[in-house]
Amino acid sequence: MLFKINFNSGMPVYLQLVDQVKAAAASGALQPGEALPSIRPLAEELRLNRNTVAKAYSELESLGVIETLPGKGCFLKQNHSPLRKEIRRKLLIEEIDEAIVMAHHLQVPRPEFLELVQERLEMLEDKRRANEEHKEK
Amino acid sequence: MNSSTPAIDIQNLAYSYGKAEAVHDLSLRALPGRCYGLFGRNGAGKTTTMKCLLNLLRPQRGQVRVFGRDPARAEVDVKRCLAYVPDQLAFYPWMTVRETLDYLASFRERWNKKTEQELLDRFRLDAAKRTAALSKGQRTQLALTAAICPETDLLVLDEPTSGLDPIVRREFIETVIGAYQEGGLGERTIFVSTHLITEFEGLIDEFTIMDQGRVVLTLEADEARHRFQKIRARFAQTPPELDFRGALHVRREGRELELIVNGAGPALIASLRQHAPEALTTEALTLEEIFVAALRS
Repeated sequence: MLFKINFNSGMPVYLQLVDQVKAAAASGALQPGEALPSIRPLAEELRLNRNTVAKAYSELESLGVIETLPGKGCFLKQNHSPLRKEIRRKLLIEEIDEAIVMAHHLQVPRPEFLELVQERLEMLEDKRRANEEHKEK
Repeated sequence: MNSSTPAIDIQNLAYSYGKAEAVHDLSLRALPGRCYGLFGRNGAGKTTTMKCLLNLLRPQRGQVRVFGRDPARAEVDVKRCLAYVPDQLAFYPWMTVRETLDYLASFRERWNKKTEQELLDRFRLDAAKRTAALSKGQRTQLALTAAICPETDLLVLDEPTSGLDPIVRREFIETVIGAYQEGGLGERTIFVSTHLITEFEGLIDEFTIMDQGRVVLTLEADEARHRFQKIRARFAQTPPELDFRGALHVRREGRELELIVNGAGPALIASLRQHAPEALTTEALTLEEIFVAALRS
């Protein structure tokens, strides 16, 4: 998979890598069992500190998103969502609250906001479907 | 040497050339395994600081330690555990690339021949060529090869990429990450001085910005990008007159407002929001933008 680092985002660099793997896993761009680039070439290519990439991978591993097979590399795990339901909900609620506050400030009314959420969900669903079809071919 | 001993520990360093004070009361500490950036404009005192680390200059005040040792007293021990790429490269002009590497290797306990060959191939350096005939980029590549092969715990780079073309600069950094960092299992320390900050951005864990011999700012890179923000707000009418003392820099343009902040972001954003802006965005500053903001304020 290809990564992109944005130093203007204010987010720690290793977390950007973690989030991009999570997003790729959620959208199906990265399939269970698929390999991630190894640390050295990825660090060289992105011109990132090797330790930053290693930190991201060990974070993903402790989250249960990826697994390291000795001598083979890092792969996306089959069933990655080790977090309990309440914790998953809590994490999601924080993000939703932030979007709601944003919507308020941008004067986006409730129906339009909900419509947008629907739209985004469908878009992600389409993306996932496209990835699945592509995989079948 | 235990692992918590800093790779570099500089305390209250001062150095003057006659009446001209190059470094004034500088303190910084680079922990093992990290990449530490020393940023400053030309003449900020970076090279003087580096030379004190290498015992090329004696500190006039304060102290300098490399892995807990005083470079002036334990010069051989200190030089054994570090490799240095200076800003002014000097090779014996009559020696070939091959002879130069053999000569430099003769001073070292370790020398990784496999790495040497990989780097010569990567840089397409002709081993039979005399150093006098090398381009500036090739001389830097030779110096980097000679600095990586001894596999030292500390790599000191003084303005390593200034004056080089973008391809050579990119290869230089990739080599530091790939060939140098690879070997040490997260234990190799890099200390780099530069004013070309953007290209080292992803490598830097922590940095010190110095100006006129003094420390302006020392921060972790992630923490710095979190604290330093650019806030932009657009209002329906003229922007409100708020208390912007928390901002480093304020720019007004018609109905728009741009603030550069260091840590005061959340408070200022909250007070801007009370005036119902049409648009309000924030973005982190890159290390180079932080450098400019820190030296301008």
